[in-house]
Amino acid sequence: MEGMWAIILAIPYTLLVTAGAFLVGFLLAIPLALARRSKVAPVRGVAGLLIDLARGIPPIVWLLFIFFGLPLLKIKMNALEAGILGLGVVSAGYLAEIFRGGLLAVPRGQFEACQALGLGGWTSFVEVISPQALRAMLPGLATYFIGLIKDSSIASVIGVTEMVYTATTYARNSADGIYTFFAAAAVYIVLSVPFGLMARGMEARMQVSSR
Amino acid sequence: MADTVPPGRYSGKRDIRTDAVNYAIELGAIEKTFAGHQVLKKVSLRVKQGEVCSIIGPSGAGKSTLLRCVNLLEQPDGGNMVVAGQYLAAGRSHPRRELLQLRRNVGMVFQSFNLFPHLTVLENIVLPQRRVLKLSAEEARERGAELLKRVGLAEKADAYPAKISGGQQQRVAIARALALEPKVMLFDEPTSALDPELAQEVLAVMKEVAASGMTMLVVTHEMGFARTIGDHLVVMEDGAIIEQGVPEEVMTNPSEERTRKFLSAVNR
Ligand SMILES: Nc1ncnc2c1ncn2[C@@H]1O[C@H](COP(=O)(O)OP(=O)(O)OP(=O)(O)O)[C@@H](O)[C@H]1O
Ligand SMILES: [Mg+2]
Repeated sequence: MEGMWAIILAIPYTLLVTAGAFLVGFLLAIPLALARRSKVAPVRGVAGLLIDLARGIPPIVWLLFIFFGLPLLKIKMNALEAGILGLGVVSAGYLAEIFRGGLLAVPRGQFEACQALGLGGWTSFVEVISPQALRAMLPGLATYFIGLIKDSSIASVIGVTEMVYTATTYARNSADGIYTFFAAAAVYIVLSVPFGLMARGMEARMQVSSR
Repeated sequence: MADTVPPGRYSGKRDIRTDAVNYAIELGAIEKTFAGHQVLKKVSLRVKQGEVCSIIGPSGAGKSTLLRCVNLLEQPDGGNMVVAGQYLAAGRSHPRRELLQLRRNVGMVFQSFNLFPHLTVLENIVLPQRRVLKLSAEEARERGAELLKRVGLAEKADAYPAKISGGQQQRVAIARALALEPKVMLFDEPTSALDPELAQEVLAVMKEVAASGMTMLVVTHEMGFARTIGDHLVVMEDGAIIEQGVPEEVMTNPSEERTRKFLSAVNR
């Protein structure tokens, strides 16, 4: 029972890592996705390379790099910050590709209408293109967010006291520790299902409206 | 006709031509090549102030490309032009300021309407006024409402584009372009995506715009419009203008065999 209580107390850490990594990833992904569409080939190339690095290196390796590597460069970070940053970097790679898909979903004519009207690049992006791209991206974003809720458990390897870390600690110290894992699993389901339903609902609605 | 437009006659933004005729658009030997395929072969064309010039011709003739060169949605590879008094030479990149000036003077209406789907009809017309003309929200809405009345859609102000017919969307697109008070309007097959009855309501709006004195360059398959509203008719084929003149004359008595063939194919 004590284990259950500990799991519940660990939920905020799971949510914090998930939301933090998503936010960091989101902010880093915007320039990456735009650079991926640049007219300048080397800019596109570098952005592509960064995206491949973010996604190609296993998240657990990213976390270890950041948690144990950055202090060597005299950058101090606690486990929670390192976990958010590491998973944020990985998320940036995946989210940049989702953004790219979203931008591709906006018809050429929309860009041309902006140009023909003489709207500036920033205005076009913020007021015309992004709202449409975001709509197209919502299902993909929701799906990625669900994945991230679960992947936030990787932060346990560097000692972030989220649910899996907590469950592992209890499992080591008590005979019926397996039950804390059941509890953790139940919480993951409860957290994921609403987002899953939301994503499916959005997809269904988009199919109706694009008809 | 001179092959290219001599740049010396213009200084800066102001048109200091001395000719009696005022041209809103002068294209001099415009060339455009896509991936080794020359789509425009030194096309020269003059459109007088207040004139409605229709462009017809078979698919792939380069009509859209020519139109898109006028507002630099497409960069010509060769030639030069004067659009609403602004001199533009091909073969160099145009600074932002120059592009914005050009696009303020030139409105464009697309075959696919290209309204912004996440904004209401009125918001579609308000946004460019606010950002380009820097009008206040109130003033932009007022002028937007007036323009909607002008195209007969006052009651659709708060509808989203997806909820109105194609013909109504195209009329909104025309209102949106007019809101920026362009000196020249480009139309690229504005009725091709529409059923005949819906096309008629768009053509009626275009007729009214023409009557208001707007200079219009119209790529179209609507022979009736080209004949009755158009002042000048240009026939393009294979990247070149093969014939041009008074619409009635070109249509009833074309001097080119290729024009005759095209016309009989369209009128069938
Ligand atoms: N962006 C582009 N890239 C490559 N080729 C292009 C591009 N735009 C047009 N073309 C080619 O240029 C030629 C002329 O195209 P354009 O659209 O100007 O013809 P059009 O006269 O408007 O024809 P339509 O009546 O079918 O609209 C075509 O062969 C077309 O395939
Ligand atoms: Mg065309």
